[in-house]
Amino acid sequence: MASVAPARGSTASAGVGGIRGRALFANFLRRELFTRYLGSVTGFAWAFIHPLVLLVVYHFVFTMIFKAQRFGSESFLAFVAVALWPWLAAQEAIQRGATCLTSYAGLIRKVAFPHELIVYASVAATLVLQFAGYLAVIVALVLYGEPLHLTGLIVAVPLWIVMAIGVVGIALFFAALQVFVRDVEHVLMPTLMILMYLTPILYPLEVVPEALRPWVALNPFSWLVGRLRDVLIAGRLALEWGDAVALVVALALFYGGRWVFRRLSPHFDDFV
Amino acid sequence: MSTISSPLAIGTAPQNDAAAPAAAPLLALEQVSKDYAKIDRRGGQLRLVWNLLRGRGAAHVYRALDDVSFTLARGESLGIVGENGAGKSTLLKIVAGVMPPTRGRIAVHGRVGALLELGSGFHPEYTGLANIDLAAALLGLPPAEIDDKREEIIAFADIGEHIHDPIKHYSSGMVVRLGFAVATALKPQILITDEVLAVGDESFQKKCIAWIENYLAEGGTLLLCSHSMYHIQKLCRHALWLRQGRVERYGDAMDVTQAYLAFHEEKSARAKAPIDARVAVSTGVYSVQSLDLAPGDVVPQGADVTVAGEVYSPDDRVPVILVGVVRADGTPVYGVATDMDRVAPRRVAAHRFAFTLSLPALPLLPGKYFIRAHALDPEGVRLFDHVERPLVVTGDSREMGFVRLPHRWGPP
Repeated sequence: MASVAPARGSTASAGVGGIRGRALFANFLRRELFTRYLGSVTGFAWAFIHPLVLLVVYHFVFTMIFKAQRFGSESFLAFVAVALWPWLAAQEAIQRGATCLTSYAGLIRKVAFPHELIVYASVAATLVLQFAGYLAVIVALVLYGEPLHLTGLIVAVPLWIVMAIGVVGIALFFAALQVFVRDVEHVLMPTLMILMYLTPILYPLEVVPEALRPWVALNPFSWLVGRLRDVLIAGRLALEWGDAVALVVALALFYGGRWVFRRLSPHFDDFV
Repeated sequence: MSTISSPLAIGTAPQNDAAAPAAAPLLALEQVSKDYAKIDRRGGQLRLVWNLLRGRGAAHVYRALDDVSFTLARGESLGIVGENGAGKSTLLKIVAGVMPPTRGRIAVHGRVGALLELGSGFHPEYTGLANIDLAAALLGLPPAEIDDKREEIIAFADIGEHIHDPIKHYSSGMVVRLGFAVATALKPQILITDEVLAVGDESFQKKCIAWIENYLAEGGTLLLCSHSMYHIQKLCRHALWLRQGRVERYGDAMDVTQAYLAFHEEKSARAKAPIDARVAVSTGVYSVQSLDLAPGDVVPQGADVTVAGEVYSPDDRVPVILVGVVRADGTPVYGVATDMDRVAPRRVAAHRFAFTLSLPALPLLPGKYFIRAHALDPEGVRLFDHVERPLVVTGDSREMGFVRLPHRWGPP
């Protein structure tokens, strides 16, 4: 097949931010958004209906069957909705991000471009759609009369951004690993599922036995879930020291993941 | 007519060189080697990942390229030949920047732009239109610029409504059409083509060759990978023969391709002869055992060519041998049999008869032909077997047709 003109210094990581990098990212993002989600019925279901159904199921199981305590005066529905959505968004972004390189194998084998743009586009598409769904559900719950503070969104948006930074790093790490070790995909799914139950999403951190609590709190997601409840349910908008620590952790995840990715990406073409 | 008899791009290249003798080469490879990691046991992947993360190479490697050096100046054309697995595709990938070499240096002094892979580099799930946008993005073209060129590309590709279908539903010829259309509009500084000419019908091949010749005439630079010595000789001034990852020969395209063809002939002669003999004995038919052209498969116009070979006769009677010349497209040019000229092949061993046909000052015009030898029964009635060899006649004659007729322009 024919091909045209090489790039100077064309290692796969160069030129992420240039005109070309931005044009490519826009191209991949458009592709991910329109074809993968909005183009197909199942894609759309994944984006919105799946979390919605899960929320209804949890609500039914925990309030009707288990008769879970209301954790103070809060509504259980609002309590779960605020935390469940970002978790599902992160989970999907990591899973899709980890496997997104495969569908671009032809391009990776033949063309020099920064491979990480594919992961960025994949994660961005998932998170953007899921965040839109999150906003819709929060607004819907407020209209339904649930005790939520819309002003909390002012802080919730930056919290999501911190989460996105960390999630991109994790996705980069697993995407690079997945190229060489195909089992990653199969290990990731059950692992993330177990992690969900170990994260205080369906329960507050306070009900975890004292001895285990520091371990559960170590999970960055425990922090995120707690903060989202602070701002949206309790309506406390003040920033905390922990937020800065979380940002540092997210950046460390991002740079760590990107370092691994850039180390491995020159060898992708042989394995992808 | 236009492609075959138009002046070769080879003729235009030296002028470009002369115009800028001191300019740095567009592309320079210095002692480039490439090792591929080999995973030879379970768990090898994790070990490999660990080694790569530590900045070490893989423990077990396969060397695809070994110490390859060459330069490509602006306006030059280089052909790359070699057997399957010789490292041609690896070399193109390194030139294109898809992966870095394990050792050695590669320098590209051109416009900074992506390698734009046509055909297999398109995303199969994208439609033709979406692939045009992707190609533009890979080259870093702003969307505004691609808007201007989209119509031009669609018109050149000329694949009608298929432009709205995903590439994966395209025929290979359609993919190449679109690839050439994109390349035409985006004006690459180096055109890298890997067997692109092997795809597509005769007329589309001609269109592609005409396009490349025009591109070269305008000072374009070409890196062509092909198994067709004809295309290499026609389009390239220099050639590089890769063998098991190493440069076997590098220099004038004609010399390199001839050496490469000679290597193949020896190889097939070694591999084929005993097998053919067995088959011939078992089937018991008159068969052509060998066919050789001297001085070679590529000759200049007007050369003295000798066709020689051996024919097997199951009953040891003297067979009739017919030698014919056909044009690459199958049009017969000339044919003659031993019984027409009342000659007999000479018996060289039991059941084996040899023949030699001299064609002094071969009047064929430049182009590709086949020399065919047919084995017939002694009566010259039944045709049992035929073997053919390609023959390329080179030259820069602009005469038309197949053969040069003796002629003289006189006063009226």
